[in-house]
Amino acid sequence: MSLSTAEALTDALREEARRLLAEGTVAVVVGWEAGRFPNQTTPAFISDPEQAQRLVYGDYCVNTLAKYALGEKAAGKVAVCVRGCDSRGINRMIADNQLLRDEVYLLGLPCSGMKDPATGSLLMKCRTCTEHDAVTYDVLLGPATAAGHDGASADSSAGDSEHVSDEQRFTAVLGIEEMAPEKRRALFDAAFNKCIRCYACRKSCPCCTCRECFVDQLRAGWQGKQNNLAENRFYNITRVFHIGDRCIECGECERACPMGLPLMALNRKMVKDLKSLFNADDAGMTEENSAALGRYDLGDLEEFM
Amino acid sequence: MILRHSSLEGLLSTLSTGARVYVPAKADGVTKFVLYSSSVRPDFSITNTTMPPKDLLFPQTQHMYRYGTDAEGVPYVEPVHDADDVIVFGMRPCDVRSIECMDDVFLTKGFVDVSYQAKRERLLMVAMACTAPAPTCFCNSMGLCPTAAPLADILLRPAGATDASGDTAYLVEAQSEKGQAALAQWESYKATDTSDADFEPVSAAVSCSLKVSMVGVKDKLEAMFDHPIWEQLSKKCITCGTCTFVCPTCHCFDISQENRLSEGTRFRCWDSCMFTAYTEMAGGHNPRASKSARVRQRFMHKLCFFEQRYGKTLCVGCGRCVEKCPVALDITCLIDQIGAADVAY
Ligand code: SF4
Ligand code: SF4
Ligand code: SF4
Ligand code: SF4
Repeated sequence: MSLSTAEALTDALREEARRLLAEGTVAVVVGWEAGRFPNQTTPAFISDPEQAQRLVYGDYCVNTLAKYALGEKAAGKVAVCVRGCDSRGINRMIADNQLLRDEVYLLGLPCSGMKDPATGSLLMKCRTCTEHDAVTYDVLLGPATAAGHDGASADSSAGDSEHVSDEQRFTAVLGIEEMAPEKRRALFDAAFNKCIRCYACRKSCPCCTCRECFVDQLRAGWQGKQNNLAENRFYNITRVFHIGDRCIECGECERACPMGLPLMALNRKMVKDLKSLFNADDAGMTEENSAALGRYDLGDLEEFM
Repeated sequence: MILRHSSLEGLLSTLSTGARVYVPAKADGVTKFVLYSSSVRPDFSITNTTMPPKDLLFPQTQHMYRYGTDAEGVPYVEPVHDADDVIVFGMRPCDVRSIECMDDVFLTKGFVDVSYQAKRERLLMVAMACTAPAPTCFCNSMGLCPTAAPLADILLRPAGATDASGDTAYLVEAQSEKGQAALAQWESYKATDTSDADFEPVSAAVSCSLKVSMVGVKDKLEAMFDHPIWEQLSKKCITCGTCTFVCPTCHCFDISQENRLSEGTRFRCWDSCMFTAYTEMAGGHNPRASKSARVRQRFMHKLCFFEQRYGKTLCVGCGRCVEKCPVALDITCLIDQIGAADVAY
């Protein structure tokens, strides 16, 4: 987005945050503030109206914020800055009964894709994003980006050519599907081998909201503690299957992964199969649980019974 | 002795005939210390590998002993010895310092960790002075110098400008008896057409651009256990273990076992103070149940408790956590905040 757009949005955000806090509408505002390094931002939690001027919005707000609502809601209503990814995360958690719509106040922000502060290029997760602007909000702080529903025609200042179209987001998956089984196995073995099981992927995910993750159920011992290919495979495959039909494709897991595992290829394989097998909707577009697998419907086919 | 960059490959293959040699390189997209072979391209321009070399002494998973009952039903316990001669070639000064911290933990104060000791005794550290610290490096502020690595057995310092042939030279110095003895193998690779005096090695003038002040930090922290800073700071932490796993000095582990029929293995794995289960007791009680208590512990251990016990900080300023934390929870910002906190000490 242009500098003037970013400045205008930052001003609008600060003003709205200050007002919401001063009027007592919300207890805390979750947004971003400047970090130490050039262009770097970091999640910010503002509860004092006087501090609202710390908030920033622009091209480098790389963190998806939705999940913070869960940790903050005990203090009162939480205002969360939301773009497409954050808002779908909120919808996801509402559909998963983790959050009530009333517990959050959503500050909708237009988005033309976020950039890596170190390189200035569009983040991978944003290139393949299909929903730039907030899909749900209480107040919209700026005009929608021209992008609308189709990522390919995003705000021209964001480096149009880097965005891909809705369907192109499956290109990597198609490539892997076409590989010979041995080659595919080698690809994933190499990836799983470098996993350090820091679990940043589950911690950053708005679908990973189990009070106790299967990984931490030490007595049941689903997940062994050793770091080796077998355990790493088990972790990574279980993570993606456990998220199942709920992945909102925010790409935050892949961004958070310090080892650069191709987690979105795994996630998108699920998304793609759900689309072709069940004609599934994109997840997190509404507060309803429209999940293909996670919802029971009397009209469901039971051919296998 | 002067060593030309072009002789490194020959030297590394000679060294690998007698030891496992690890060099900084990119493997499957991740920079780390990789076992050298003719197919590995060492990259000595990497300022800090994403993964530190600590796993060479303290592997993420380390088998300690096997046990079970034999065919006659007699129980046995069999220690696992897996120490080899290892040369880490191209360690940065901060990583060398991190080994000093690990030595403190695993070898001093009357506690000797035999698994660590076995590997440590067979380790030769070849350090490479830094000429271009990364933007996230702040070792100067942690009492180190980017061009010195006192604990290393051998120190390589890029010397002067590249020569007429475009080849970089390194001034090589042994810093321990072990290093001195090891240099015998290097002799045939040394540059013979020049002498040490012709080269000016990189000096202490190399300095990190990121700076923090450690003045009073430990003393202030002693009075800050209940300070609101922890609650504030920890809000954004997602309690992944990234910072602790990429840290060269984090050394916490958990002992576990796997049993199959009549035999089993005991092993230890890296654990992280950022994980909920880290402090969970057998009865279910967790003295560090809250996120803020865990974040506090990590920083207190780095900047206060370790100093109290061993007289040095447990942070060497390598900047790995600064670079890899997915939410930019930056230890250098915390140090600034402690400095600015209105706390008497
Ligand atoms: S974030 Fe990456 S390295 Fe960490 S557990 Fe997940 S896949 Fe493994
Ligand atoms: S699995 Fe990854 S992409 Fe999918 S919702 Fe979770 S964090 Fe987002
Ligand atoms: S890497 Fe960052 S988010 Fe993860 S535990 Fe460490 S401080 Fe928290
Ligand atoms: S705390 Fe961070 S900067 Fe300090 S030694 Fe560990 S990884 Fe490096």
